[in-house]
Amino acid sequence: MNAKLRDLIVTNLLAVFAGLFLSGILLLFLKINPLIVFKQAVVTMVTDKYTLGDVFLKATPLIFTALAFAFTFKANLFNIGAQGQFYMGAIVAVAVSLKLDGVVPTPVLLVVVCVLTFLAGGVVGGLIGFLKARYHANEFLVSMMSTYVALAVMNYLLRTFLKESKGEYPQTDAISNSGWIPTLIKGTRLHAGFLLAMLTAVAVWILLYKTPLGYRIRAVGSNASAAQMSGINSGRIYVAAFFISGALAGMAGFTEVNGVQHMLIQNFNPDVGSAGLGIAILANANPIGIIFASLLFGALNVAGNLMGRMPGVNVPSSIIDLMQGFVMTFVIISYFARTYLDRQRKKRELQKAVEK
Amino acid sequence: MQAPFFELRNISKYFTGVVANKDISFSIQRGEVLALLGENGAGKSTIMKILYGLYKADAGKILMEGREQKITCPKDAMALGISMIQQHFSLVPAHTVTENIILGSVHGKIDYKKCESEVKRLADQYGFEIPVDAKISELDVGVQQKVEIIKALYLNAKLLIMDEPTAVLTPQESQKLMDFVKDYVAKGNSVIFITHKLKEVMDVANRIIVMRNGEVCGDLNASETNEGELSRLMIGRELVMPEKDRQEHSGQKVRLSVKNITVEKKGETPVLKDISFEIHEGEIFGIAGVSGNGQEELCEVIWGALKADTGTISLDGQDITHLSIRGRIGKGIGYVPVDRHRDAMVMDMTLAENMMLKSSYDAKWTRHGLIDRKKLSDYTKQAISDFMIKAPGPDAQAKGLSGGNQQKALLAREVGHAGALLILNQPTRGLDLGAINNIHTTILEEQKHKKSILLVSTELSEIFKLCDRIAVMYKGSFMGIYSGDELNTEKIGLLMAGYSAKREAAKG
Repeated sequence: MNAKLRDLIVTNLLAVFAGLFLSGILLLFLKINPLIVFKQAVVTMVTDKYTLGDVFLKATPLIFTALAFAFTFKANLFNIGAQGQFYMGAIVAVAVSLKLDGVVPTPVLLVVVCVLTFLAGGVVGGLIGFLKARYHANEFLVSMMSTYVALAVMNYLLRTFLKESKGEYPQTDAISNSGWIPTLIKGTRLHAGFLLAMLTAVAVWILLYKTPLGYRIRAVGSNASAAQMSGINSGRIYVAAFFISGALAGMAGFTEVNGVQHMLIQNFNPDVGSAGLGIAILANANPIGIIFASLLFGALNVAGNLMGRMPGVNVPSSIIDLMQGFVMTFVIISYFARTYLDRQRKKRELQKAVEK
Repeated sequence: MQAPFFELRNISKYFTGVVANKDISFSIQRGEVLALLGENGAGKSTIMKILYGLYKADAGKILMEGREQKITCPKDAMALGISMIQQHFSLVPAHTVTENIILGSVHGKIDYKKCESEVKRLADQYGFEIPVDAKISELDVGVQQKVEIIKALYLNAKLLIMDEPTAVLTPQESQKLMDFVKDYVAKGNSVIFITHKLKEVMDVANRIIVMRNGEVCGDLNASETNEGELSRLMIGRELVMPEKDRQEHSGQKVRLSVKNITVEKKGETPVLKDISFEIHEGEIFGIAGVSGNGQEELCEVIWGALKADTGTISLDGQDITHLSIRGRIGKGIGYVPVDRHRDAMVMDMTLAENMMLKSSYDAKWTRHGLIDRKKLSDYTKQAISDFMIKAPGPDAQAKGLSGGNQQKALLAREVGHAGALLILNQPTRGLDLGAINNIHTTILEEQKHKKSILLVSTELSEIFKLCDRIAVMYKGSFMGIYSGDELNTEKIGLLMAGYSAKREAAKG
């Protein structure tokens, strides 16, 4: 087998295992047998239709944010602000849906909202790319801080223009049925947004590997100097890559608002951005791999919720968060372990070639 | 015999994809000036960075007066009395001279008065005029270098390593630096001088280590050698002068015209100084010279990657001075840069993908907006057979190919889209003889197609074999433009070392 692929699979499995193992030890401290809890969670997940549907449901926004991170990653750039771009998408989704609710038929509404969330995230992302290209701003910092700006904007709007008509809580009114993304399977919460996410992953793969723009993005990412020397304007590539990246994160706002929550509340899905980052690294930024990695994280999420609700055992919710946090941390560490292994391997090959 | 001051034994260093140093051994005595001579990329800086603790050697050891030493960081090196002055100074521009010099060697409350007077005393000792309380950013490069030297002396350095110290200095400043070096070693200290300038070496060094391709290929006493021998060792091969039927092109129309090109960083000596020349249709114009004398910068100015401060460039009578690289590709200019890994190929992509790197905006590669894989693949297959590239196929990773085959592929790409002018910077460097012949044939073939070719090479045999006219470059300017028949090895060697033809004539 290809040594790189072997490293990828082995290190990722180790990362997931290490994360579960550590959280298992913590459970032992609470006098809970981790094996029983884990087993019960897995059994419920595969036997209960509703729960299984939830795995795919939770995976949906993660696919978008992971694609967002992966896309700039291919250009050797870091978009840490998927969370903020997701918020922007969510704001636009809820505002437009409430405005068009009952005015236009459902399919038209959904298409309009989808396109507008795409643009909303894209504009935020494009701005980061522009700052990078024009002023050499550090895209890592700018994108990270942009999340807080988006969060502040969202909180402001929830207290003012978008506040519910009852005027009690900082949240919006609910969107009526006609603005909902249709459910895929009866008896579950799984909606068509999951299909959209899969289609988007395929589209991103085509864009990256089959079009001249994707080609240029990868060329700039792998060797910016050679690309520049070949007449490719890397600044423009930065803006384009960040626009598309932001747009992908924005679409997660569409599927979460119109597909799941049907309204916007404060502290809405606060982890999709960071989880997406981990997933993208887990999948080595491969768009198709991201689908599977997102399902794994969806499953972790659902398993965590199940463990919290298990009768008889009292698993605190902080352990559930820790479990996901551990897995994520180990996945990110595994990325650096892989680069190290790769470098060592290349060095050994060279040494061997010289000694011959 | 007394053990040498410092000795390097069998040092090897590998970077990803490159052997930087291979089995390097040499030593330096007290009171000696050692010159480390070699072309750019020969591994001189790497071996010195190992001695200074900036890099860790993969094999070999370092001895001081016969005892093995572990140098894992510059602090260890400094404790042994080694100090290195980097090509790019490590000074804090916003701090004063004194603050920079005492950086890292003071603790607790700083008595600036005392420090300043100490620095002054050191500077006076060597006749340096340094304003001790001025900010670094206000000083000239030459003075900044003196600050670096004083910094080393302040740390009680016994072995001073200088990486290309004269690169940024004027001739007068260089002379002063040489005087200092002689003065310094007279006190029982040692100096290692990294350079590729033959003249300096003969002027100041007691002993000379010549490096090529990461290996030591000569360890000579300065009194027993001459510039001719050194340049031969550096370049690597005894020169043979093949015959070529040189063509007269002055009647042909002018393809490329370069006028008064100067590139100059503020306060430093110019990298390119008032360069003017013309290349005619179907002519091969050669630029000879030791690498690092401005050849790469000249290529980049013509290619559009480096902006000239003054001067104009025109192609077929059209001014292209301000045209972008993409615009120049459109005009039919091709460029094979000296460092293909950095500037010309994306090694993580396939061979086919690399073939479209410069024409990715061209609609010929797409169908319905998607890349036409089949067309690209067929084109690449054709190039593989036409240029005899040894590759498993169009989808082979570029990095999996040998250097010679990468270079052939690169040449195939450039020849494919450059209809007017080909800029080739050391197109055969590091290749085996078969690949070299192949590339030479291609170059002569393109000449027949009325293309104009600018060939930069440090291989004199290559220059003489292929070029109709030859310019010799030294320190950013042309020493003259000659037709191939006007030059011989000795004459071109002197020109490359910076002796102008006129001065030689006057002497003779």
